[in-house]
Amino acid sequence: MTADEEKIEEPKGPEIPQEIPAGWQANIIAFACHYCAFAAADLAGVMRLPYPANVKVVRLPCTGKLDHIYLLRAFERGVDGVFAAG
Amino acid sequence: MPLVVGWLAKNEGLIFMEGLDVTRITPGQEGKNRIGSALVVGSGIGGMQSALDLANSGLLVHMINDEPSIGGTMSRLDKTFPTGDCAMCMISPRMVEASRHANIKMYTLAKAIKVTGEEGDFTVTIEEKARYVDAGKCTGCGACDAKCPSRVLDIFNQGLNKRRAIYALFPQAVPNTRAIDSDHCLYLNKGVCRKCEKVCDADAINFEDKDKQYDLHVGSIILTPGLKTYEPDIRQEFGYGRHDNVVTSLQFERLLSASGPCSGTVTRPSDGGHPKKLAWIQCVGSRNSHNANPWCSSVCCMYAAKQSIIAKEHDPEVDSTVFYMELRAFGKDFDKYIDRAKNDAEVTYKRAMVSEVIEDPETKNLIIHSVDDEGKLLNEEFDMVILSIGFEPREDAAEFSEIFGIDTDEYGFAQTSKLRPVETSRNGIYVAGTYQGPKDIPETVIQGSSAAAKSMASLGESRGTEVVEVVLPPETDIEGQDPKIGVIVCHCGTNIAGTVDVQKVADAVAGEAGVAFTETIVYACAPDGQQKIRDVIKEKGLNRIVVASCTPRTHGPLFQDTIREVGLNKFLFELADIREQCSWCHMADKEKATEKAIDIVKMNVAKTRLLDPVNTSSVGVTHTALVVGGGIAGMTASLSLADQGYGVHLVEREDTLGGLLTEVDFTLDGDNVREFLTDVTRRVDSNPDITVHTGTTVANLDGFVGNFVTTLANTKTVNHGALLIATGGAEYSPTEYGYTESENVITQRELEKMLAEKEPDNGESYVMIQCVGSREEPDNYCSRICCQDALKNSIAIKEKAPDALVVVIYRDIRSYGLKEDYYRKARDLGVIFLLYTPDDKPEVIQGEGGLKVTLSGKVLGKEIAIDADYVVLSTGLRPRPDADELAKKFKLTCNIDGFFMEAHVKLRPVDFPSEGFFLAGLAHAPKNLEETIGQAQAAAGRAGALLSHESLTVSGVISKHNRDICMSCLMCVKRCPFGAPFIDEDGMVSHNEVKCTGCGICAGVCPAKAYQVNYFRDDQILAMVDSVTTG
Repeated sequence: MTADEEKIEEPKGPEIPQEIPAGWQANIIAFACHYCAFAAADLAGVMRLPYPANVKVVRLPCTGKLDHIYLLRAFERGVDGVFAAG
Repeated sequence: MPLVVGWLAKNEGLIFMEGLDVTRITPGQEGKNRIGSALVVGSGIGGMQSALDLANSGLLVHMINDEPSIGGTMSRLDKTFPTGDCAMCMISPRMVEASRHANIKMYTLAKAIKVTGEEGDFTVTIEEKARYVDAGKCTGCGACDAKCPSRVLDIFNQGLNKRRAIYALFPQAVPNTRAIDSDHCLYLNKGVCRKCEKVCDADAINFEDKDKQYDLHVGSIILTPGLKTYEPDIRQEFGYGRHDNVVTSLQFERLLSASGPCSGTVTRPSDGGHPKKLAWIQCVGSRNSHNANPWCSSVCCMYAAKQSIIAKEHDPEVDSTVFYMELRAFGKDFDKYIDRAKNDAEVTYKRAMVSEVIEDPETKNLIIHSVDDEGKLLNEEFDMVILSIGFEPREDAAEFSEIFGIDTDEYGFAQTSKLRPVETSRNGIYVAGTYQGPKDIPETVIQGSSAAAKSMASLGESRGTEVVEVVLPPETDIEGQDPKIGVIVCHCGTNIAGTVDVQKVADAVAGEAGVAFTETIVYACAPDGQQKIRDVIKEKGLNRIVVASCTPRTHGPLFQDTIREVGLNKFLFELADIREQCSWCHMADKEKATEKAIDIVKMNVAKTRLLDPVNTSSVGVTHTALVVGGGIAGMTASLSLADQGYGVHLVEREDTLGGLLTEVDFTLDGDNVREFLTDVTRRVDSNPDITVHTGTTVANLDGFVGNFVTTLANTKTVNHGALLIATGGAEYSPTEYGYTESENVITQRELEKMLAEKEPDNGESYVMIQCVGSREEPDNYCSRICCQDALKNSIAIKEKAPDALVVVIYRDIRSYGLKEDYYRKARDLGVIFLLYTPDDKPEVIQGEGGLKVTLSGKVLGKEIAIDADYVVLSTGLRPRPDADELAKKFKLTCNIDGFFMEAHVKLRPVDFPSEGFFLAGLAHAPKNLEETIGQAQAAAGRAGALLSHESLTVSGVISKHNRDICMSCLMCVKRCPFGAPFIDEDGMVSHNEVKCTGCGICAGVCPAKAYQVNYFRDDQILAMVDSVTTG
């Protein structure tokens, strides 16, 4: 086994499902295109469509601007979900 | 002028970040005899297009409409064909753009009542209805509608639900101020109520408001009043108004719409159930002189296909049937869309005229009789029936034409000539859109630009005389200063403060690094709110501002202007959306909403801390256009550009001008094309501003918008600011039906020539075969002109030789719009129309006695054989054989059929995605002469608006390239849709910021992180992520 292979070896076995504590709320970050998804989020408000408050939107000029480092940083810092829309 | 470059690229978006710096030129023209302003009557998609083009060319525009919001018919649509794009997502940015343009003055609830004067100097008297709401004070919060006790049928939603007497026409209305419907307001009618006044914190209700009259002085007028839809009540056999579940297509559009009365879940009016079996009945109110209109409304075939596809997307169990007479999918990529409806959405198309819709009184289901292929009578039951209603001129069309002093046709549409499609009978008054005849969105947009171009040519000398330049103080230098952020949290009346604890939000962010000032404010966007912001910037020496209120999409530019007025760079601002994206969605949980609002503001503070001023540079413009292609499209565009005051170089590969039109004698409407072409060619040749280069082609194109350098094959070099491609198409030369074997098998074009040379004889028989080489793979598109050619030649034969036999064997006669008259005329003259299907084509047999055409009779039930003296093939149009090569040369793209692709099918039909490139004529798609002329003028208008600028300011939100860390891997070069990154003379990647639109795709794909987008830098985005997470 080469050193490189050692490094990329992934943990074996299936993920152990965790108990979801009562009252737990996912922390979600959405990356949204200014022209479509961000506009759609606005329209949801204009139409008073309710949804859970645990999602915060980061506006991008275009989803083409979405960079993997944004996603990695979000997960690294403990968000439970990322939503990219555009 | 909102920085042209960024805006043209983003098309819809422009308001993104830019403000209103004005630079303007009047190229070589000083005369000011005519008033440099125009009146646009109507503000649907066509009116807005005219207004924006004119305003961008340095003319002042007054835009009036009689509804409380701009937007017109398109704002009522859910999606658009043939792409399925959301209509509101396209038109909404246009509305905001038009409403914020420094050179457009918008008047709602207004109509013209008197017009005097002449071209160059009209006086128009406007009557503006009282709004009873002060537009300067109303913030659009909507607190009033909730309290209004008066319920009124919602006309915008086609009467499907009710609105209040104080209302916004639709959620995205522009201007976003309420209006009071004086017919239904309790106070205005009965003297009691005033509930809206009590609840309005902005003090915007004004019951003392009165109707006003005033005069506007303008140099030209563009009429885009739009349409009325046919009212199907009169057709009692369909049961509209009696059967609950029979709706109009426009009602169905609202039922499909996410912002419609049932939030996009289609429900049956009778019981609120979800209909599964849907039927569309086509041509309701169209193509029928009895209790309806004789013309074809042009759009119903396509919108029925669209609605059936969207209905299937909403609910896969939906089963749709379209009852139609003729499938008129004549536009670009339309036939493919119909195929999609048939194949993907499994829509059943039945060629049948429906005589009656019967309601089952128990279930309220609807029964339609039809006849199947074997001739058997079928009874089918449907959950809902949709009537595809057509267009007609507005109810006030007669009065309207009288006020403006223009002629109308027998149906009440504005009278125009096919050779001058947007000119009315009165000089200086132009028309666009459905008032000129039924048409779809892109054709309306094209006419909007075309009418604007005529107006620009008329008023070119006065360009820049009426518009106001904005003078701003110099920008404060904040270099080296620590961030001193001011955070303004807006109550928006109770819109935010009713759900979110705004004081708690302000307190929570007061301790954030860099925040020097926080305050809450009742209405940040109201004039006093903005003054407050200006004052605190000066008093506290703030160098960055965060406003926490509504969406940056509509209000960002307003606040950016506000801070710029006191010297802060516009990019030292961010808007935290705590209304649309917080308080309005989380009303049930005030605590969670407040927590979220705090997070949203913190994110924006974190970004704002890292904001830097963005300086926008500008480039000069060469006020000359290069037009490639010397057919009628290229020549029309050249003349229009020259009339507007710009220099033109016209390049034609052949030795003479004229293109395909040299083969045509007359139009379907009888206009003398030969004389017209001679006249146009003479005017091009003799125009001192047009340099004609015949017998040559473009060898090489270099440069960018405003500054192109083109080398011709004859080695001449041309400097130009815009490029207009009008390279035309080719006529299909058939191999089918024995064309190459018999000289009596001819094309429509050859027949036209023959008829010009010799009169037809009463004893002759002509058999025409339609769709030869069209509408079948590999050329599966409609060539659009062949039905018109067949009608033109049939009528010409029958008028001269009434006893001659003329048979047209067709798939669908596509005599769309007002051309339906000629289809009827041909039938009246005795032309026989026989149907064939592509799997059962007619055969041409060459016997000793001459030609015989046989048609086997699946449709008719028995075989038919016709002796023909002439078999006339209606051959279609093809792209030019070298279209691919041209596309490569100019870095443009073609659709699957080989026609050039425009920037946007609906809203940018004459632009290319690349800046400074425009498109017209057959190079875009098959079209007739009238449409080609209109599109050429439109392209010239769009190019002219660009060329009117002294300089083009590069958009602020662009990608910045760091050449030092770039590895020239070419990922950006491959991925940029706009061709901004390029390989420079050192063999390295460089970036042309003029072409950049700031989408950031380059930054996303660059492995070296050599690109950073201004205002959306990685550190700024990551700071937002970090601020709401814990590491």
